[in-house]
Parts: sequence; structure tokens; C-alpha cells
Amino acid sequence: MDAPTKHNSNARGSGPGEGGEEVTRATILPKGPGNEDPTAATLIPLNAPVAVPVESAPTGRVSSGSPAMASGIEAIREGRPFEPRIHKEVAQHEPVVRAEKFDLFYSGKQALHGINMDFPRNKVTALIGPSGCGKSTLLRSINRLNDLVDGVRTQGEIFINNLPVYAPDVDVIDLRKRIGMVFQKSNPFPMSIFENVVYPLRIDGERRKGVLAEACEKSLRAAALWDEVKDRLKDSALALSGGQQQRLCIARAISAEPEVLLMDEPCSALDPIATLKIEELIHDIAGRYTVIIVTHNMHQAARVSDFTAFMYLGRLVEYGKTAAIFQRPQLPETEQYVTGRFG
Amino acid sequence: MGQLTQPNPVIAPVDVANHQGGSRPLLGARLGSPKSRATPLSARGEPVVWLTGMAMSICIVMIVALLGITVYQGSRTFWPKPIDTLVMTDGRVVMGMPMATEHFVPQESDRAAIEKLKADAAGFIPGAFDAQGRPVRTLYRIGNKEIRGEPFEWIELYKVKSTRRDPEATLLERNNNWGLWIGVAERVERRVKPAEGSGSPVITTLAAAEKGKGLWRSIAPLHGEASDRRGQIAVLSKGEVGEINQRLERERQDFEQAKLAAARAKAGMGPAFGAGVWWAWLVMAVGLAAVAAVMTRRLIQMADRPGSVTPTRRLVVSACWVVAIGAALVAVLERPSSASMSEQELAALETRYKAKSDELNAAYQSVLDRIKEIDARDAEVRLIVRDAESGRFAPTTSTAPDEPMRLSSVVRWVEPNQLTFAGKVGVYLDRWREFVFDEPRNTNTEGGIFPVIFGTVLLTLLLSVLVVPLGVIAALYMREYAKQGVMISVVRICVNNLAGVPSIVYGVFGLGFFCYTLGAYIDRGPMPEMVVSRFAWWAGAIGLGMVVVFAVAMGLYGRPKPGREATRTQKWLMLLSALTWLAAAAGVVGLLVGTPYFHGFYEYRPAATFGTRGLLWAALTLSLLTLPVVIVATEEAIAAVPRTMREGSYGCGASKWQTIRRIVLPRAMPGIMTGMILAMARGAGEVAPLMLVGAVKLAPELLVSKSPPFLHLENSFMHLGFHIFDVGFQSPDSEAARPLVWTTTLVLVCIVLFLNLAAIRIRAKLRSKYIGGAF
Repeated sequence: MDAPTKHNSNARGSGPGEGGEEVTRATILPKGPGNEDPTAATLIPLNAPVAVPVESAPTGRVSSGSPAMASGIEAIREGRPFEPRIHKEVAQHEPVVRAEKFDLFYSGKQALHGINMDFPRNKVTALIGPSGCGKSTLLRSINRLNDLVDGVRTQGEIFINNLPVYAPDVDVIDLRKRIGMVFQKSNPFPMSIFENVVYPLRIDGERRKGVLAEACEKSLRAAALWDEVKDRLKDSALALSGGQQQRLCIARAISAEPEVLLMDEPCSALDPIATLKIEELIHDIAGRYTVIIVTHNMHQAARVSDFTAFMYLGRLVEYGKTAAIFQRPQLPETEQYVTGRFG
Repeated sequence: MGQLTQPNPVIAPVDVANHQGGSRPLLGARLGSPKSRATPLSARGEPVVWLTGMAMSICIVMIVALLGITVYQGSRTFWPKPIDTLVMTDGRVVMGMPMATEHFVPQESDRAAIEKLKADAAGFIPGAFDAQGRPVRTLYRIGNKEIRGEPFEWIELYKVKSTRRDPEATLLERNNNWGLWIGVAERVERRVKPAEGSGSPVITTLAAAEKGKGLWRSIAPLHGEASDRRGQIAVLSKGEVGEINQRLERERQDFEQAKLAAARAKAGMGPAFGAGVWWAWLVMAVGLAAVAAVMTRRLIQMADRPGSVTPTRRLVVSACWVVAIGAALVAVLERPSSASMSEQELAALETRYKAKSDELNAAYQSVLDRIKEIDARDAEVRLIVRDAESGRFAPTTSTAPDEPMRLSSVVRWVEPNQLTFAGKVGVYLDRWREFVFDEPRNTNTEGGIFPVIFGTVLLTLLLSVLVVPLGVIAALYMREYAKQGVMISVVRICVNNLAGVPSIVYGVFGLGFFCYTLGAYIDRGPMPEMVVSRFAWWAGAIGLGMVVVFAVAMGLYGRPKPGREATRTQKWLMLLSALTWLAAAAGVVGLLVGTPYFHGFYEYRPAATFGTRGLLWAALTLSLLTLPVVIVATEEAIAAVPRTMREGSYGCGASKWQTIRRIVLPRAMPGIMTGMILAMARGAGEVAPLMLVGAVKLAPELLVSKSPPFLHLENSFMHLGFHIFDVGFQSPDSEAARPLVWTTTLVLVCIVLFLNLAAIRIRAKLRSKYIGGAF
């Protein structure tokens, strides 16, 4: 027996809370005579020995050094249905954002496949996965930023506080006002620091100076930027350093008290010190906001998030408490990814 | 390393060992022979550096040469030149200022005389022949056009017996359209005619020239008085007479307006707005602009919130707008006529008008009398400066007998041979002051160019005010709203090709469309045969309203749901909507052309006011001409706004318009300024279309006045580019005017440079504010 298997079995046996007794794993039987129906997924109890015969494809458990792909990865690559593993801890929290069978197509090419996910309230949820796995697309689907791209079509629904995002009569502007977003590259607007922070309020028609100033100070303090810029609020935001700009963008995103804060690889363009500051910041605001963060950096995901979802090629693979995902993943696919063996 | 033996291991560091022995063979082995590893020339790139440097040098040399010649020639024009007195071998005496010298090929008949002269080696002044022995001639500016006919003369120097520079030689710059007068000043005298008008006048000498000193010192105060008299006459004839004329004209206008309104009321027609109620036009324009702004804002808000407002609700709103506009139209156009006055009232009005105009005419007469009185006093003071050759004075007309000129006709008195360096500088600066701040004289060959500068600057500013909003709006639509497809590519290619259309074509279009169509409509209203009856017009207006609502409806129901593809039906509906909007635009034009309510801004005025060439039309024509520049620059600038910035704005919940207004436009502002700078430079330097749509040879009145509407953009104007053409090539005295071409060019270059520098400064500020150094 090799290490992953041992690990997995250890995890399963570690306690009743962690156990995957009722968690099932879906694996599609290979196409073959008598098994043409792709929906005929066979549900196998996880603790049952996985002995699905797979033609010429290596199974998740490989005996020797060269790491082979787990069977789920193969299934996803070949476009076969795949049932994600969602830990039961996720369901114990009240969801703020819920995706239901959400598909997204970029001019005919499917980028998201039937995402079913709940994002718990006032927790930090990290989306991890290799490039092109659709984590950013999923994130941008939540505030309908993908509408700006030509040729995007969606199916299924996303709910925010039980309100459908993709209903025909939804007010996209209003929707986006309830969701803050921080981007990969810091994008301060060409205006003063003050105006940057209060931008969401301004476009909402807020003109009272007192309200604006208060919101500005509050957001900047929350973003740990107040002390650095309080004397030059009227200066151009473009003169700030990269890390300061990103914190400014976070301050802007939270200035309108959003229900959800989306972060799309917020640290990928920053140096380690600035990254550390942002991570501390996320940690600080975690209790007050529902944060969904996309990251390439698994250490970062492990450090800042409460829950982690692993995605691959537009599908959710495994979703659970961060500690569980990184230390005791229930799927070999996840384990292979978090241990850096593919992706 | 082991095989190396160090003589002194204490001093010898390790790297010395490496250099001495260890690594050298290795290095040689890796590089091989240096010859085979030489970098090819194509990879090194030096030739390209030389080539680009050379090309740039050529460009710089050409530009510097052009600017250098302009600056050199332009700045030396006003430097006072000495006056030479030449005594010719045939006894003539010529006074003049040397302008240019060249050698020439003498005529066959003169050759023998020249050879004989040269053989004598005497009898000619030095410099009469050049180093190669060729005869030399000099162009002298001899002035005195009244008696000479030709103010310039080429003088062969071998025919000159002697030259000298008389201190009394005097150069007079005059305001009597004859140009310079060069001669020897004698005296200033007062000639008082006897009261009966018969008999010779009584002459008293006021000042006389002393030998070797000239006259100026003793007559400077007299000249000051004369200039004052001239100034008084100018103020009276321009200011007061002009004001009285304007008031007369306004009284007449008001009366004619009342008469017309009465006639219209009698004929059962609605009242009309005339030019007399210019403030009503202003209020109407501001009101229309405000309504348009509010409507646009409302529409934008609705377009931004697709979900919260249903198509039906929006339809209702647009129908409400149509009804509101219709009601406003009815209220204004079908208002109860106040002009239905009785015959008696009209008669009373006429009496009042007559009395008023009599009063004004009397005032006019008294001003004329004052002018005459001052003029008579002015005519008494005469200046005697004799032509050196003939001893004549300047005749006032070519047929009248010689009579000394008035002292007041002298604008500037220069005795160049007596001037010190400081004095020359003084004359030079004074001539520049006159050039920049005064009106032109003597068919533009003398005096200043202030109206020309004013016209050019006003045109350029108006042009940029017109072209920038138009170009920015067009570029915004093309880049932000239009679907990037075949259609928009075709439009873009067309816009770019517009930049290549010869500017004269724009001039022809401007003359035909702006002056003779739009301007004529403003002047006279629609053509009588096009005017429809009130009933038909209102039917058309209601039809147009319905067409607009229909177009809005098609657009609303044809819009696909967000995140969904448009269905076939929706596509057809959108096409139908676009076509209906086009029809609506045509309908608006039709309603304007057929309106029975507009009788022209200047209906009763015989001469065309807007329907002729003017600054407004010139600015509009030039804005069409420069539109492609602004559109292209703005599009580039908008496209250069980072996508992340837009997404950030959308992510904050901003609508498209809010993103454009708060993020895209500020960020694109420096680029838009670049477009504006290019447009301004092009517009300020353009001549061909202006010749057709507004620039004229002489329009000394500035386009601003004290009477409403204060800015008279419908008047024709003077333009530096056209002025250069006119002075250089259309002038009756092109030799005299040529130096002014250089100075005018210099001024034009300076103005363009100044306008550009101002714009560049603003752009730099915007750039540091909106783009910053962070990216």
C-alpha cells in the first residue's frame, strides 16, 4: 500500500465526525457493451474497496513512484459525469450563496459543469484548482460580471440569500452593489484615495459628506490602510504602492457593506510582505463578511480559509473544511492536487 | 585544483589561482576561435541605429530650416533701415531704403558703356561691380507711390555717381492708403482759409527743420495733437455713429416686427419669433437643452436598470414624454396672439417710431457736425516733406494739384539716419506693438493684424468647443455601445477616410449646407412652397410622436434578456426599431421644413444674416474636417483604459454610463486632449475651406459688441492663414507686403504654439492625475 491510500484510510478511520460513512463516491463505469447510459453512475460506498475496472486507465491507487491520475480526474478529462464529494460540515452552516446546477458556456464551450455548492455565512471559502478549472469564472458568475463578456450563456441558478441571481427581472446593478469584489490586479480608479473608497456609495447617489467620510474611515481602518493614508486622502490613489493599492481595493469593496466579498487571487501580483498583510486583513474581516477567495497558492488557502473547494476543469471535485481538504482529503484526486502531484 | 601549487598560499587568494591556471583552458575551449563566433552585423543592430539617426536628422534639419527662416525673416522686417540718397550720373536724385542686392546680366546696349566704365577704373562707386566683375544692382524702396506709381526700383549701381545718408531724410508711415513717403522734411505750417472761401489762405509756420537735425524733435508735440484729433474722429465716427445707427436699426426692427405681427394676425396666422426677441431664443435654447439633458438622464437610468423597470412601464414613460412635448408645442405655437392690434394702435406705433427715428437722426447729425468741425481744424495743419527727385509734395488725389499732406495723416515719423541703436530698438518695438494690436491699413499691406489674430483665435476655440463633444460622443458610441461587427468596421473605415478628403471639399459642403441651406432657413424660414397648412402639420407631428413611441417599443421588446442570445424575432424587432428611428429623424426634418410657425429669424431683413458666410459656419465646417482626428484619438484613448478598471467599477455596482463617466472618460481625457490639440493645430492652419465659408480680406470689426447678443458669430472674419495668402499673393503691392507675410506667419506659428502649449499643459496635469506613474 502506498502513502495516499494509507492516508485516506487513516482519515476515514479517525473518528465518527470525519467519517465518510454516508458520503458516497460516484464513479462512472467505463463505456462498454451493456453500459451505454452515461447517467448510470454506480454509487459505491467510500469505505468499500475501490475496484472499479477501468480500461487502460490507472486507478487512483498506483503501487509505485510515478504518480498516475486518479480515476475521477480521468473521468473529468474525458467529459464523463462526476459526482463531487461535499463534506457534511458544509451543510451545517447557513448558506449565503448557493449555486444550483450551474452551467456556463463561453460561446458554446462549456466552462462550468453543473456546480452545486453552498457558501457558508461569515466564513472564508477558498476555491482552489489548476489553471482553467473555472474558479474565477464561478466567482465572476456570482456577481454576473461574466455578462460583460460577449457570448456567455448560463444555465441553472445561483442564489444570494435565496434571491435568484439569474432571474430575468433581477437588477444587475443592485445585485453587484450587494457584492464586493477584489481583483487579481489591483485596480484603483483614476481619482483620489477618498473617492476610490467611497466610489460604491457615490454611484449609489450618496452625497452627504459626513456619511462618506465616515464610510471611508471605517473601510480604510478595516483594510488596515487608515494609518498609512489618513493624511493624504485627497492624493491620487495611483501613487500608492502595489500592496497599498490592493488594500485600497479591499477597502473599496467593503465600503458599501456588501453581503459577500469576492476575491479573485488578490495576492498573486504582490510581494510576500504585502501578501502577508492582505492575508491578515482577510483573517480580520472573516468574522464579519462572507468571503469567497480564489487562489493559486494552496498555502494561502490553508492559512486564510475556513472551507476549501477543489475544482477541476469546470467541475467541483471536493468541498469541505480547509483542514480536512488539506490534511485528510476524502478523494485521491484532491490529495494528489494538494500534495502537488498534478495541476 | 589539487594540481596547482601556490608559491605563497597566505597571500594568494583562490580566484587568482582560478584565473592563472584553472579556468583559462576551460574558457578557451568553450569559446573556440573568436573569428568563427563573431556576431553578425544584422544581429548587432548598429546600422539601424545609424539609419534611424540619419532619418531623424533630416527631419530635424527640415523643420529647423523652416522655422529658422520664418523666425529670421519675420523678426527682421520691422528693423528700421537707413535711407540712402543716390545721385545718379544722369543727374537724378533718388532716396530709398536698400532692400536687396544682386548681380545681373546687363542689356546688350549697355555692355559697351559698362566696359568703358570699368576700363577707366574710376567714375563709379565702390561695390558697383562684384568680385567677378559683374555689374550689381540694388532694390530700393523709394515709396512716394502717389507721384512715382511704383514704390520699388532696381538701381544699377554703376549708374550711381555718389551716395550719402542725409540726416534730414525722413520716412513717413501714413494712414492714407498710399504707403510710405520718403523725402526731406522742411516745415509744418498752419493754413487758415479766409472766411469768404476766396483768396489764398493765411499761412503761419509752426516749426521748421534745422540743417542736419531734422524736424521731428520740434514737431513731436504738434504730431501728438494731430494724432489726438484723429483719435477723436475715429471714436466719434465708429463709436457714437455706430451706436446711433444700431439704435435706429433696432427701432426699425421693432416697428417692422409689430407691423408683420399685425399683418399675420389679420391673415389668421400664428405669431412667430423674430430676431428682436433674442432673449426668447436664448431661453428656448437653454430650455430645450435642459429638457434633453433630463430626458437623457432618465433614459440612461432606465437603460441601466433593465430589471427594475419593465418594458411596458418604459413605454408608458416614453409615451408620456411625447405627450408632454406635444403639449408644450401646442402651448407655444398656438398661444393666443397678442399681436392683433387695431389700426389706431398701429398708427400710434408708427408715429412713435417716426419721432424716435427723427430724434436719433438729429443726434446723428450733431455728431457729424462735430466730426466736420474737428476735421476742419485738422486740415489746417500741414506738413511739408519734399520728394527728393521732383521736389513735390504728396498730392491728395492723383488729379488734384499738389498740396502738403496733413500732419495727422502721419502714423509714424522715422528719421532712420539719425537713430541711435536704442532709437532703432524703440521703432522696432513700436512697429511690433502696432502690428499685433492695430487694424490693418492700406489694403492690408501696412498696420496691424489684431482683427486677424482675434478671428483666428476665436475660430480655433469655437472649433474645439464644437468638435470635441461631437467627436467624443461618436467615439464613445463606436467603442462602448455599438456591437463590434462588420457595420462598425465600415463606419470606422469611413471616418478614417474622411480625414483624406481634400479640405476644399469640406468648404464646398459648408457653403452649400451651412450657409445656403441651414443659414438661409434661420434667416427666412422654410421655403414658401414647402410650408404646409397648420392642420397638416399637426397631423404630421402626431404621426411623428406615434412613430417615436413605436420605435421605442420595438427597441424595448427586441432587446434580448441578459445572459441570453437574441432570438430571430428579437433581431427583426431591433432592425425595425433602427429603421423607425431613421424615419423619425427624417420626420423631424420634414416638420421643420414644412412648419407654418417659423417665418425666419430675419424675415423682414433684405440682406442675408445667417444665410451667408460667417465664423459660426466656418467653425462648423472645420469641426467636420477635424472630426476624424478627434474620433480616432478618443477611440484609442478609450480602448486603452484597462479592462480591470472597468470591471472594478462594474464590480462596485456601477452602471455602464457611470463607469464611462467616472472611470473611462477621466482616464481617456489625456488622449482626448491629444485629439483636441491635433484638431486645433489643423483648424488654425487651414485656409482653403475658410475662403469659401467665411474668411474675408478685410473685416476690421471684431465679432464682439456691446449690444446683444454680444457675440456676432454670423459675421465674416479675418483669418491668419487666409491673410498670409491675401497679403502675399492678392495684394496690389506684393513687393511691399512680402515682409509682412513672414511676420504674419511668425505670429500664426506663435499662436498655434501657444494654444498647443496650453493644451499640452492641461494634458500633462490630467495625465498625472488620472494615469499616474504606478502602471
